[in-house]
Amino acid sequence: MSALVVALVVPWAAGAVLCLLDGRRRWVGWLAVAALVVNLVALVALATSVLQDGTVSETTGDWPRGVGITLRADALGALFACFSSFAVLAAMVHEVLDGVRERVFPGLVVLLATGLTGLFVTGDLFNFYVFFELAMTAAYVLATYGGGRRELSAALVFTAVNLIGTFIFLLSVAGVYHVTGSLDMATIAERMTFVDPAVAVMIAIGFFAAFSVKLGLFPFHFWLPTVYTGARPAVAAILSGGLANIGAYGLLRFGGELLPRELEFASAGLIALGAASVLYGGVLAVSRRSASEMLAYSAIGQVGYVLMAIGVGGPVGFAAAILYTAVNAVNKTLLFLTAHMRGGIVAAAFLVGALSVVGIPPAAGFIGKLELFRSMADDPLLLALVFLGGALSFVYALQVYQFDFWRSQRAGRRSRWGQQAVIGVLALVVLAGGVWPEPLLSLSQDAAAALGGAGP
Amino acid sequence: MTLVFALAASALFGIGAYLVLNRDLLRVVLGIVIISQAATLTLIAAALTRGVAPIYPLRGALVSDPLSQAMALTAIVIGLALTALLLVLVLRVVRAYRAKGLDDVAEEEAEREARRERRTAREHEDEEAAAR
Repeated sequence: MSALVVALVVPWAAGAVLCLLDGRRRWVGWLAVAALVVNLVALVALATSVLQDGTVSETTGDWPRGVGITLRADALGALFACFSSFAVLAAMVHEVLDGVRERVFPGLVVLLATGLTGLFVTGDLFNFYVFFELAMTAAYVLATYGGGRRELSAALVFTAVNLIGTFIFLLSVAGVYHVTGSLDMATIAERMTFVDPAVAVMIAIGFFAAFSVKLGLFPFHFWLPTVYTGARPAVAAILSGGLANIGAYGLLRFGGELLPRELEFASAGLIALGAASVLYGGVLAVSRRSASEMLAYSAIGQVGYVLMAIGVGGPVGFAAAILYTAVNAVNKTLLFLTAHMRGGIVAAAFLVGALSVVGIPPAAGFIGKLELFRSMADDPLLLALVFLGGALSFVYALQVYQFDFWRSQRAGRRSRWGQQAVIGVLALVVLAGGVWPEPLLSLSQDAAAALGGAGP
Repeated sequence: MTLVFALAASALFGIGAYLVLNRDLLRVVLGIVIISQAATLTLIAAALTRGVAPIYPLRGALVSDPLSQAMALTAIVIGLALTALLLVLVLRVVRAYRAKGLDDVAEEEAEREARRERRTAREHEDEEAAAR
């Protein structure tokens, strides 16, 4: 069995079994953590083999190629799968140490990881939809975790909005099948060049709307603050560190590989939307005093950068978008997990995360910002925007740090040592990414190259 | 034929969108279900070919496209599961708030929000006074 199959099948089977067990028992939680560890190890093995020997693909059930469903892992998918899985694992360990409160939580988190893994390694458009639904359905239920009234109404908004996004996605899938007669991504990318531009633009708009809802981009963001502040820290970390990556991946895969002409056509619009997101998220985050609200609005601002980098396009722009998404996922996981904790290590870890969001050198966020600057070096207006966004993030990140850790002691009991260790490890990963950025840089360039050298 | 399908799908989508914008939670669910039907109909229409069932095609005979039917079937199953999930969510929200309309839920949320906001503002003032 190859690493690809192990990475997909182990969490799948484990998730199905775990849903039947009582998740509040400690050993069930650790079983879920073990399944996620296997998933992550297999994904790392997969990523190393992909980076050395190129794309790994597998056709299910020994069907001939073109008939069976293909699983295909290239550098882009493997990289996204690795850091999404890492973020989910960290949040899961954090929650198990605190004590799980609902029966189905461990099973759902493992199923969400299955959906994420499958989505990043599939080469089939409809299969993408199915894995997408698997991950999203788990997320809808996770959003109710805790069971308070606030969580429930947030989950209802989240589910309703995302379902509509999903069906718009399905409409676009139907459109693609109608005009190309294929569901295999590589075949679609070839045949898309012969399609009538007007039709292709319609399809592209559908995909864009669906992924923007997931990403929480400016005009589609309205569900995001309610959900991220309503949910428990571990759930918010899973949603923003793991699930939100679907949006960035989808825009890169569908925009960069399947519809490169339409992406180029829309680049000015994408940059404008990204800039609006950066400013809107930044300004609203400055006006918030509590850490979780600040983080929710900051998330809107951060994805704006990703969209701007995708809009700029080309190998440099795509590499910057990929790198920034990776760094941002780890950052967001770290910050959301610290949002309701207290203690010395927590303060230090929060500071590292805040510095990383701002983009100050020892943290990994600096490398992300540097790549963004590099990709937008030709345009002084964009540079000014990125700089302004950075200044806003400096204000809000340090403002919350000051309120939460300098002025007043947070209410509540002191956090457990195990949990502090988890966020300590996350903070060290952020620092390591900033001190030794070469692997991250070359990985993101490989991943951008996997998009087939799309763009200029 | 495709035109008929397109008109039917767009009409369904329109009805669904209208219901989603409604304030009654049950109607919102109904709207989402109807939108999902519009998507399913589009999937079927995406590869509309007439012919015999593709299970054992005779040489030269025209077969209908099995793939779009398989996709429609999967989409129906997923849609059904999500409808069930959504109904459970609505039930729990209704029980928690003892209300049926989104209006009531939103009102209560706004009140709680305002209370919380006042409390944090007071806390910050106290802190500032203490700092002085």
